Amino acid sequence: MLINQGVAVHDMDSALEAAIWFWIPLLLIPLGMWLSLSGKAKTPGKILAFSSFVLILISSWTVPSSDSTASGHLLLSILAPSLLMAYGVHGMIFGGDVPVGKLDSSARWSGTLAVVISLTILCLMHWYNLTPLWRNGEINPYWIVFWPTFLLFATSLCSASAIALVGFGENRLNEAMKLSALSVLIAGIALVAMLFDGYFTTAEEFRNYLWLAAADILGIVAGVLLAIAAFAIVIWSYEKSLPLPASSPPPSEDEIKHVISIANSHIGGEEE
Amino acid sequence: MRGTGSSWKLLALAAILPILVLVTINLSIGDSNHSESFKRFGNALVTSYVLMGLLLLGNLFFYADSRHRPFAPLVGMMVAIGIGLLVTWALVSNDDLLLEANSGLRAQVLSNIVHMLVSATAMLLAAVLAIGATFAMITGRKRRILFEEEE
Repeated sequence: MLINQGVAVHDMDSALEAAIWFWIPLLLIPLGMWLSLSGKAKTPGKILAFSSFVLILISSWTVPSSDSTASGHLLLSILAPSLLMAYGVHGMIFGGDVPVGKLDSSARWSGTLAVVISLTILCLMHWYNLTPLWRNGEINPYWIVFWPTFLLFATSLCSASAIALVGFGENRLNEAMKLSALSVLIAGIALVAMLFDGYFTTAEEFRNYLWLAAADILGIVAGVLLAIAAFAIVIWSYEKSLPLPASSPPPSEDEIKHVISIANSHIGGEEE
Repeated sequence: MRGTGSSWKLLALAAILPILVLVTINLSIGDSNHSESFKRFGNALVTSYVLMGLLLLGNLFFYADSRHRPFAPLVGMMVAIGIGLLVTWALVSNDDLLLEANSGLRAQVLSNIVHMLVSATAMLLAAVLAIGATFAMITGRKRRILFEEEE
């Protein structure tokens, strides 16, 4: 009985710790962003969102007992290649021919290099010992969720972008071909992962999770579209229920005379 | 593009084709059944619906500022999210329909949210790469001279 009570108290403590150090910060991130974007409290909103994000990143140390914190650990593990990729993409775009905020043309090459290095780091996280390890030297369970989802979605978006460039732009065939090549390259990385074992994960595990990643992507896209459709229906039905605005009465004689006098003074220049 | 309808269909096809190709190759190599995929699809759908609904509910406050703070859309959106939550509860509670390797409703819901956090991050990073590469291709081209006066 005493042992059971002890276990129950311990469970409650760990649940409370997880709530304080992981779940509440997770809720505070969108709240902080909302406060910042709405303009109601810009700086406090940014501080709230940023500090909550940091708390999520370090949650595997603040609440090591909670399994959910593996996601925070994964976010921390991929932070460096993600920032490098964002830096590289920024350099690649603004090192080109842009009307505002143009960077030196060398930024284009350094940006490309940064993107290549970030992709290489992500590959090394799968095929070399850079894989994020969590408790007791075990692989972070969310890494095998993140990696196939990233590869599938990136190859899909690059392919769609290539078609969009050809379809909506003029003389964009070269650029579309380069984007298609990027899509094929990423699909090739996924294919290699399907055939060859990673450092800590097997090819079979990757293949199993590729199915789940495809289901995840389709589910998320469908869910988001449904939510947007529900939102549009709510707004549309409310706007439809509003009465038509009443027409304003025609101008009086005095008002017409006043307007004519203003127009005359501008056209004729009598005051000058 | 010939028309707006066909262009959207072509874009959707281009987006889905690489996924289909990889999944088909996976199927040809594959050695196990994937019954868990439907559960993952269902969980991802209900979770993203509810979370996106909550984000849009926050967006309604911006809308309310321009419409003398009406109550009706707020209630309507809450009902829409409520239906999503109800469907989630009904499907997850039903033993083997959406329940993955979790002990119960609460564990499954929390697992779904964490899973969504990871998948959404992966999709966001992929979007940064793909959209960034697209704009880099566009800005990488030499500016064309349309009129002699530009020189």
